[in-house]
Amino acid sequence: MLDAADPPHPALIPWGIIPLSAESSLEGVRDHLEGRLEPSELERFEAIVLPHLDAAYSLARYLTRNDDDAQDVVQDAYLRALKYFGGFRGGASERGDGRAWLLAIVRNTAYTWQRRHRGDALATEFDEELHSDAVAEQHPASALERDTAREALHRALDRLPRELREVIVLRELEGLSYKEIGDVTGVPMGTVMSRLSRARRRLQEALGADPEGG
Amino acid sequence: MTHREIELQLDAYVDGELAPADARELEAHLKECAECARLHEARVALSAAIRQQVPAFRAPDALRRRVRAAVRDAAGARAGRRVLLPVAARWLALAASLAVVAVGSWQLGLSRAGTDALAGQVLASHVRSLMPGHLTDVVSSDQHTVKPWFNGKLDFSPPVYDFAGRGFPLIGGRLDYVGGRAVAALAYGRRQHLINVLLWPAARGSVGGPGVASRQGYHLLHWTTPDYVYWVVSDLGMAELRDFTQLLQQADSAASGPGTARPLP
Repeated sequence: MLDAADPPHPALIPWGIIPLSAESSLEGVRDHLEGRLEPSELERFEAIVLPHLDAAYSLARYLTRNDDDAQDVVQDAYLRALKYFGGFRGGASERGDGRAWLLAIVRNTAYTWQRRHRGDALATEFDEELHSDAVAEQHPASALERDTAREALHRALDRLPRELREVIVLRELEGLSYKEIGDVTGVPMGTVMSRLSRARRRLQEALGADPEGG
Repeated sequence: MTHREIELQLDAYVDGELAPADARELEAHLKECAECARLHEARVALSAAIRQQVPAFRAPDALRRRVRAAVRDAAGARAGRRVLLPVAARWLALAASLAVVAVGSWQLGLSRAGTDALAGQVLASHVRSLMPGHLTDVVSSDQHTVKPWFNGKLDFSPPVYDFAGRGFPLIGGRLDYVGGRAVAALAYGRRQHLINVLLWPAARGSVGGPGVASRQGYHLLHWTTPDYVYWVVSDLGMAELRDFTQLLQQADSAASGPGTARPLP
């Protein structure tokens, strides 16, 4: 079904060595790096990893659904990335421009961070806000129709389970290939394909079921 | 092939991820099967809709500075430690950490200098709004028109109230940029006077205020609820501005439940 020339399962690439519970305080990273990071390495890091700050923040925003959490997650992820930058440059040529590598760290950081700080409170909070919007939606003026459709799409996306939401964000917003998405999320390409398909089917069902947004 | 298998392939096809041989086979099927062709069109449309209507967020400038500083600090300690006594290095490291914290606090509007800077920006926003054509992006006295207008333009949905019955009619809303982030600005009227309300999501645990300031003949009031940072600015007299602020806080606490109202100074 997929191109047979593709290498097998990408989830086992060396990125996997980044521990989920890595301590990424400034002190921790500084101690870890002492005597190892040459100034030229910092330059490389700034040239390869820093430019993807927007992509990192955007993914964190869609995963945490919250600006404050997203900012904390991104800073944390960058410190982790710096700490494990040595592992990345080992085969940089095969691994693209550093974006997928960084996004994998952002994703893991977001999930670790949420487990530690927020539990499941986020989802409830967010839905309440959406419900209050839905009240205003009952009086749509014609000029607002496009915004209402947009809102319906946002709502449908936010209600997807996170493993489906993340593949949509990585594919549609970041334009990653199936292989890169597999690298970021740590699943085989076949799983990426079926998750994307499931996510889109759900979005379509949600939009079709919403008379305002259909 | 089952319908589900075709649907799977369709998504890979739309994404350009299907092997050429499979793609040709699928294209042949789409020509014959109207149902699958419709599904294909729907998927292409959905993909386009997501790309158009779901924004990729841009990192706030404050975060950009914060990350850069943290990275430099974490990586740059090595050179410092070689030439400094360990104790001095520790103090330097601590100072550097505090600097990062200070940048964070500024963004949260907690420090005094940060509040002064914010007051300046809020005032600038108010003065700018008085220039012709700058007051509102959406003109409406209907809160149910103004509130949804912000959808997709901001990363939060600001509460919008109308106090026309109390002599403070809603005029409209606009986007503005204050404190390093996009904020909601709501314009209210009082006779010939204008009141601007600027608000954005509050950082966790930063409930505070209220604070009062006067600058260049304008009055500013600000406070932080568990949900939002509020700044109110107007050339209206302080007594009337407090009346307005009270209405706003009452409406807010009624909307967000008990326990969130903050008394005025």
